[in-house]
Amino acid sequence: MAANEYRKLSPVEVHRLQLQNCFAEDWGKVLVRGDLDERRVYGVEFHGTVKIGELTGTVEDVGGVVKNAGIYRAKLSNCEIGDNVRIVDVVGHIANYRIGDGAIIEGVGTMATTPGATFGNGTLVEAVNEGGGREIPVFDTMSAQFAYIMCAHRYRPKVIAALEKMVADHVRSRTSDMGEVGAGAVVRSVPEIVNVRIGAAARVIGAAAIEEGTILSEPEAPAEVGMGVAAKYFIIGEGSKIMGGAILTSCFVGQGVRIGKQFSAENSLFFANAEAFHGEAVSIFAGPYTTTHHKSTLLIAGMFSFYNAGSGTNQSNHMYKLGPLHQGLLERGAKTGSFSYMIWPCVVGPFSVVMGKNMSNFDLGDMPFSYIDAAADGKSYVYPGMNLFTVGTVRDGAKWPDRDRRKGTSKRDRIVFDVFSPYTVGRMMTGEAQLKKLAEETDRSVDEVKLSGAMIRRLVIKTTAKYYATGIDMYLMGKVFERAEKAIGEGGGASDVKKALSAPRGAVHSDEWTDLSGLLVARERLDAVHADLESGKVKDLRAVSLALDGGFDAYGADEWEWIRRAYAERYGKLPHKLKGDELAWVAAGYRKARGKFLKMVLADAQKEFDELAQIGFGVDGSSADRQADFEAVRGKFEEDKFVMQMRAEMANLDERVDDFTNKVKKL
Amino acid sequence: MSDVEDRLKDVLSKILKIDKATIKSESHFVRDLGMESMQSIELIAAIEEEFDIEIDEDDVTDVLTFEKSAGYIKGAVAD
Repeated sequence: MAANEYRKLSPVEVHRLQLQNCFAEDWGKVLVRGDLDERRVYGVEFHGTVKIGELTGTVEDVGGVVKNAGIYRAKLSNCEIGDNVRIVDVVGHIANYRIGDGAIIEGVGTMATTPGATFGNGTLVEAVNEGGGREIPVFDTMSAQFAYIMCAHRYRPKVIAALEKMVADHVRSRTSDMGEVGAGAVVRSVPEIVNVRIGAAARVIGAAAIEEGTILSEPEAPAEVGMGVAAKYFIIGEGSKIMGGAILTSCFVGQGVRIGKQFSAENSLFFANAEAFHGEAVSIFAGPYTTTHHKSTLLIAGMFSFYNAGSGTNQSNHMYKLGPLHQGLLERGAKTGSFSYMIWPCVVGPFSVVMGKNMSNFDLGDMPFSYIDAAADGKSYVYPGMNLFTVGTVRDGAKWPDRDRRKGTSKRDRIVFDVFSPYTVGRMMTGEAQLKKLAEETDRSVDEVKLSGAMIRRLVIKTTAKYYATGIDMYLMGKVFERAEKAIGEGGGASDVKKALSAPRGAVHSDEWTDLSGLLVARERLDAVHADLESGKVKDLRAVSLALDGGFDAYGADEWEWIRRAYAERYGKLPHKLKGDELAWVAAGYRKARGKFLKMVLADAQKEFDELAQIGFGVDGSSADRQADFEAVRGKFEEDKFVMQMRAEMANLDERVDDFTNKVKKL
Repeated sequence: MSDVEDRLKDVLSKILKIDKATIKSESHFVRDLGMESMQSIELIAAIEEEFDIEIDEDDVTDVLTFEKSAGYIKGAVAD
């Protein structure tokens, strides 16, 4: 008999086990591998076929505590136990489970798999529209992009049908009568585990009950499900932590997510690095980096990404007519202020901030980087571009890539982090055109006019169009400048600069771009994916994944092609046709726009240090004490890290542009 | 008080919804007159309209007192 084959117990071994308070329905169905150390099997009741690996070594528990492998005081029914597993004090039973090498299971109640279990795969999550119509059958390897297409592109019914079929096939492949606990996982003090597949190195400790789910996990990115968590119908991704009494019902949780502090969610999806504490989510699509940390915050029937919810943020999706049918879209980078409220339907443009109790239904997708503020009567007022020049926007762009917690072998959600991109700058161009038209059409006698469901003060129209112009110039001129600067910096001549500014290979061009919950793609690429899904050319989940990867990989080339065309449209010439003096003009334009941007961001930072910001400091002291207290706690403006970075960039900008101008004129 | 200063007070009074008499030459728009960031955009546009001048968005950060603002406008009008 090979060493890795299972064998029946000898009569002596059975006798010894019986002396150790063990019982078997049929000892002939208790199989072991290698030599059995009977001292490591005590008080165990065997039902059905139970296979046991070698129990000669030790396991390492949380905190590095070493314990003996073995099975003590447990009832096992139809299980396969790997090598050096530790199973102790099973109050109820473990039935129909395959338990990986080195796993630890202690103090669980019932842990069972029923026939035909799908482990949460195929659960229909009614995201975004609580009334239904956008149900997503979730599955363990689902990406934000797959879910987005499935949720948002209902106008392509053949696409949806094709995706649904693929998911159904995948669910079948995941269906089993046996549950799994992966190698090295720790499952402790959980009263109820039914139809849950637990991945390698996962930590499931103290959860109240987990049913119908998958916990994906691997040693490089272990998942954790902690104290008091109650989860039913769920998928939890690698590296995610669900802790602190969180309640999940019909939820998908992607990779690197944090949910805890009594947060409750139902019919919701959370993708890479989302964070949800204290509050509540119902029917939301929480794209990558969606963050809600505060109590009294209800996110309902909305789609978000790179979002930050202020305390008390709330929305309504119910007009008390035909049911909770309304939905909202907060595009990437949006924020909602404390106790802000929106009555769906609404669309909030990228990187916009919503404040106050908004009672208007607005669609401000073409007004990115805006402030949307409600007046006392609930009317929403938009201030386009106001959030372009803020410390918050600059810091957001820098912090997200640094805070990517996904450490596993694959990152399923494809994320383009750029704040300024064809997606956002394209919106600024649309917004600028709309504002200019509105300025022309609006009489000076008028105080305010309607804009896409919100109000806009006449006086802000012209100025905010200029904000967009600055943002557009900064991006388009900056990208051209940087490419030409790099080519010259590498010792290149005129032909090298021309090459650097020429059309990239393999790029596609679309005026319109879309944000597939983190992945920015040219519309043409998305259309191609749609077409391939409809024709059957893309016919399984792997092919969908490859197609989406293709969009992600092409971002740089497609972005540059978009910039080239947008540049030509705005300034009259394709970048590769620019002569030396024209490139110097581009550099000067970039210096002006970027310099303006940095100066305004610095002015925004300055507000954090001015007199108003010092209120409450130096309590009981003199005005000098107030200043000293403030500086002790907050530091000095001049010494602030962010301020120094901005100033350094300003100084560097002048040097770069001067140097470039000198060189480019000699080409 | 010059014509520019008087007209600037009118503009400030209208946009910030404050009594013209409370505006002093040393008044800081934010600290003393309570200007909010969103009002600053309206103020730029209102000044541009009133004096028929163009103000760069970032120049606003340099002229946040009544005195400096009036000086800026006088310079721009003279140009």
